[in-house]
Amino acid sequence: MARVRDGDADAYADLVRRHAPVAVRTAALLGAGPDAEDVVQEAFVKAYVALDRFRSGSPFRPWLLRIVANETRNLHRAAGRRAAREQRAWAAAEPLLLAGDEPAESALGDVRRSTLVAGLSRLSAQHRQVVTCRYLLDLDEAETAAVLGWPRGTVKSRLHRALSALRDDLAARDAEEVGRHG
Amino acid sequence: MADATEDLLVADLRSLGLRAAPETDVEVLAARVLNAIPQAGPDPRRTLLRVALAALAVLVALVATPPVRATVADWFGFGGVRVERGEPDRTGGEGAAPPRVGDVADAAAAVAFPVLLPTALGEPDVVGVGRDRRVVSMTWGGGDEQLRVDQFDGALDYAVAKRAPRMRFVSVAGTDALWFPTPHDVVLLDPDGSRRTESARLAGQTLVWPTATTTLRLEGDLSLAEAVRIAESAVPVG
Repeated sequence: MARVRDGDADAYADLVRRHAPVAVRTAALLGAGPDAEDVVQEAFVKAYVALDRFRSGSPFRPWLLRIVANETRNLHRAAGRRAAREQRAWAAAEPLLLAGDEPAESALGDVRRSTLVAGLSRLSAQHRQVVTCRYLLDLDEAETAAVLGWPRGTVKSRLHRALSALRDDLAARDAEEVGRHG
Repeated sequence: MADATEDLLVADLRSLGLRAAPETDVEVLAARVLNAIPQAGPDPRRTLLRVALAALAVLVALVATPPVRATVADWFGFGGVRVERGEPDRTGGEGAAPPRVGDVADAAAAVAFPVLLPTALGEPDVVGVGRDRRVVSMTWGGGDEQLRVDQFDGALDYAVAKRAPRMRFVSVAGTDALWFPTPHDVVLLDPDGSRRTESARLAGQTLVWPTATTTLRLEGDLSLAEAVRIAESAVPVG
């Protein structure tokens, strides 16, 4: 970071290369959809311009991801009310979760996948966001707190409630299916 | 029981996230970021950053797409210098100074671009004009202590190529300039961009800065501060 502050452009490019993949995934799953790379580009530019405000010694990644999240939210600013914005964000992220090739290491079947995505779409926006950050993106608690702008305690409690809600929802759907067919 | 279910759920959510990884070419993204910085604003400090980053974009482009096509002119708005990344060849000997002419006024009369004289150094000991009148060279002193200033028409593409592993971005009289603190190759290029191999030589510390129409380079055993002071003393001849 010291080298970046001194205007060492190579150092900043290294930082971009290192953090771009997680930044793009974060933007995409928070609702930037196909604009994810543009959002990340803008976030890196803003991060650079604001480097003097970056507290030295603190980790770069949560700070960057927070900017990425803000930029992603800005994409949907035109949608008006918060609920409408959150709806649009999820509408952009959902197809990503349903499409794409199955990674070799994943044993997730198509049915389970669409079940999970459907379950996520029935969660409240806050619960969906915390699950997205903490599990889909595999961010740690501090990063999740930075991205969502919540205190860490809130991340912890909402995550807990979100998982319960998702588990109950999936169990209820299961029971419904069994009831209908069985 | 709830724990086991939850672990399974969490594992599945992680798998779900993994498959939603958009493909990103980080090199392309890095280049785009560096290119986008110029629009950041007119703050002079940012301008310097912008230049630094634009230059990095050049370097990234060099790495990504040899053979080298980008010119410093594309990024800095001053021409005649091409910077390549890499270690100097160290094969070039002492480059011959251009053929002598009489004095600074003779040189100014011989070329089509305005010639500057760094007044901090006084009258040069030797003044030369390149055979094709593209470069004016002046030297002060000799041996290890020799100082040399070359100047050429900034509208030319590819007058001088520098192969430099390190360079810094500095300011001369408020204008962006390049400082090469370590030895680097200097190669004269033909107007089509091809190298004139016979012209290769290894230069010491060098400051390169633009004027409205020309590009100048000052070379010698100088600190950056001394080099900038000399550069800022340059005034038109005549």
